[in-house]
Amino acid sequence: MPEQREQPTEVYLYGKLRRFAPQKDVSRDSIVKLSVRDGDTIESVLYRIGIDPEETSNIFLNGELSSLGRAVSDGDRLGVFPDDMALLYKQYFKKRR
Amino acid sequence: MTLGGGHINIGPAGHYRFVILGMPHKGRKELTPMDRILRVNMSSLTATFEQAPERYRNLGGRALTSTIVADEVPATAHPLGPSNKLVMAPGIVTGTSAPSSGRLSVGGKSPLTGGIKESNVGGLAGQKLARLNIKAIIVEGAPSAREMYVLKIDRDGAALTPAGELVGKGMYEVDRRLWEEHGKVGIIGIGPAGEMKMAMAGVSVNDMENGPGRYAGRGGMGAVMGAKGLKAIVVDDSGTRPLRAPNETAFREATRKLTNALRSHAITSETLPTYGTAALINVMNEAGGLPTRNFSSGRFEGASKISGERINEVVKERKGEGRVGHPCHPGCVIRCSNIYPDEEGKAVTACVEYESDWALGANCGIDDLDSVAEMIRICNDVGLDTIEAGGAIGVAMEGGLLEFGDAKGAIDLLNQVGQGTPVGRIIGGGAALVGKALGVERVPTVKGQSMPAYEPRAVKGIGITYATSTMGADHTSGYTIAPEILGVGGRMDPLSIEETKAGLSRDFQAVTAFVDSTGDCLFITFATSDIAEGLEGLIDSVNAVLGTNWKADDIVEYGKQVLRTERAFNQRAGFTSAHDRLPEFMAREPLPPHNTVYDVPERMLDSVHNY
Repeated sequence: MPEQREQPTEVYLYGKLRRFAPQKDVSRDSIVKLSVRDGDTIESVLYRIGIDPEETSNIFLNGELSSLGRAVSDGDRLGVFPDDMALLYKQYFKKRR
Repeated sequence: MTLGGGHINIGPAGHYRFVILGMPHKGRKELTPMDRILRVNMSSLTATFEQAPERYRNLGGRALTSTIVADEVPATAHPLGPSNKLVMAPGIVTGTSAPSSGRLSVGGKSPLTGGIKESNVGGLAGQKLARLNIKAIIVEGAPSAREMYVLKIDRDGAALTPAGELVGKGMYEVDRRLWEEHGKVGIIGIGPAGEMKMAMAGVSVNDMENGPGRYAGRGGMGAVMGAKGLKAIVVDDSGTRPLRAPNETAFREATRKLTNALRSHAITSETLPTYGTAALINVMNEAGGLPTRNFSSGRFEGASKISGERINEVVKERKGEGRVGHPCHPGCVIRCSNIYPDEEGKAVTACVEYESDWALGANCGIDDLDSVAEMIRICNDVGLDTIEAGGAIGVAMEGGLLEFGDAKGAIDLLNQVGQGTPVGRIIGGGAALVGKALGVERVPTVKGQSMPAYEPRAVKGIGITYATSTMGADHTSGYTIAPEILGVGGRMDPLSIEETKAGLSRDFQAVTAFVDSTGDCLFITFATSDIAEGLEGLIDSVNAVLGTNWKADDIVEYGKQVLRTERAFNQRAGFTSAHDRLPEFMAREPLPPHNTVYDVPERMLDSVHNY
């Protein structure tokens, strides 16, 4: 699909972070769509949305538990959980940097 | 009929007093905590107290049930026959003031897996048994007639009476009637599924509201209890007090450390009391590891509708009897449970937790939370393991018995299990039986037990635990305390990556076996993983009760000894390395969204238990 390059990055927000999304109903997905720029990382994307990384816990990039410095590309899916919603057997998940 | 009084309980010189059981405890001084074993023979209908052998001294919970099963049950016994035994044991610190420590282990040979089983449960009974100084209950034999009995245990002894009108009743009614008759007692019981000896029947324990939703669910221990002709055990600890440790000062210091860790860690102080374990629905969905529609995808489009966030919102919106931050037993500081309300605010069931919510929700393609709660209520009433129930229905959907997403059909099937219709009995036999009945290959079981809510193709480490656990596919076999905190780093620096992973699973399984023996809830490990003082508190609270001086290495070794005992039993029962495998379809079918297969080499699986 040639238009794939122009797909926005989708940021799925959970818990109290849903306040940054247009759709805040917890029964549905709360998604912020945006285009990323060269050099964007998870951290810079969060700041652009207005989210303080201190307020986050588990972050998934395309389903992989990830640290803030990881690069983000067009079409990626980010999932961001707030600091009061962490719940992983973290030893089973390798954090990608 | 009152049975079993009058036996003399003799302890090692100097530490114990003679106690005549079945007589008033006049002049009784202090017993060392939990030194008695109650042996209930269902063939002769007698209940006798014995002194626990010295070699069981440091054993509690899982360590004790598994050791007794290995000592007393022939590994080739039929799980439903008279040679099998049902063994229950509170943990080492259960009954004390240690936080979140009210766990009870229920063990025996499993009719589901054919191997050894320990299933672990909260609720009221564990603490009350411990406060009655009962280290274990061993139920053996089988009644000659198809009678059901109720065992009542109190300070004066133990008595068996016919179950009478309780026979055939669901656990909600059983609990209600037994409280009407006996007051606010602890109740261990089985529903109709256990009476019908179905392989997914669990053992219920009541909670503080007298709901039956605390289950030693896994592995069909309810069927073993049914085969023994035991409908319920009533545990009345009137007149007892919380146990004190021999070294009470050290104990209080240790439990203070553990409590502080639980109250300061984000998972145990915020996530679990607010959203419950179902907070994991959204997390695992993002991770691409939420098994969906019988393990055919790792993402469920309806996840948000059955999430912990949604549960929290429903409780707030509907008010009434609904509740989050609900403790399953007195003294729990985590309070991960909830009471799920209907539209009028009336309690449907406690509780909608992650595994049940996933099994009967995402795994069946069902995204209606009210329907999921109703299914959980039926499971709690009929007496079913919710994981196995969801696994079985998922396979039934795969096999075309009903459509994925058909909540009404799924509710009907669960009701049929309670009624014992032919289809209900097949469902009640578990996912593997349903797969055979319907000719389905995609059957997500290990050793015949349904996988829980973590997709091994997306979370490969947990697949190692599923494959190699002595229990069959079991997520609770691999909770962990961080290896670096345990100081097992040397073993983490291995020759190959593969051995590291195997070593991790080994250590996880060993530490879990220890925690399952303490009576502490496994969820304390979220805090003890990250907070060194919390881990110290965990270990030292056990030291203060037992008079030991264990360090982190010792608890790993303790856990390994439990695993050795269980593995040896399973080997005698006929298990080989071929049983330590995931189902073949997982090595062949890529799982979306990661599109990965399970590719952990067999030699790695086989190295897990090299110790």
